[in-house]
Amino acid sequence: NPIVLDLAYNFIDFPSLENRM
Amino acid sequence: PIEDLFDSLNKHIQRSEFEQAVKVADQVLSIAPGDEDAIRCKVVALIKADSIDEALSAIKVYQKPPLDFGFFKAYCLYRQNKLDESLDSLKNQERNSAAMLLECQILYRSGKMDACMDIYQKLQKSKIDSLEINYVAGLVAAGRALE
Ligand SMILES: [K+]
Repeated sequence: NPIVLDLAYNFIDFPSLENRM
Repeated sequence: PIEDLFDSLNKHIQRSEFEQAVKVADQVLSIAPGDEDAIRCKVVALIKADSIDEALSAIKVYQKPPLDFGFFKAYCLYRQNKLDESLDSLKNQERNSAAMLLECQILYRSGKMDACMDIYQKLQKSKIDSLEINYVAGLVAAGRALE
């Protein structure tokens, strides 16, 4: 079967740390 | 102070220094156990550092409400090719674009092309970058399955 991109990886995000610094 | 640690953590994240980010997240957690941002940073940094086993261990340790790592857990299990467990973990999740995309990838790996393509159809509206690449892969794989 053709290769499938791991697009789900792009949804693994860090939280915003804006108001923690 | 904790603000300096978060400043350092943020810098490591910006520079994609994920192993360093894990260390600083641990430093935050040593003075503020249960800090949700630090826990989330630790889990994400472990995944991005390709330390999938460790990410799953951290999820096991820190997973308690209101923290919900269902999607991250499902993703880690997918990476370990534990496809049934991964689907199980997704079942308790909100069915957003990310969850549907991961479900597609699991179904594709499981050879369940019809179910996979059904979800891709639903995702077309959500403007996900490069989605068409996986859609075409699914079409080709589904075509081969008919031969
Ligand atoms: K797929």
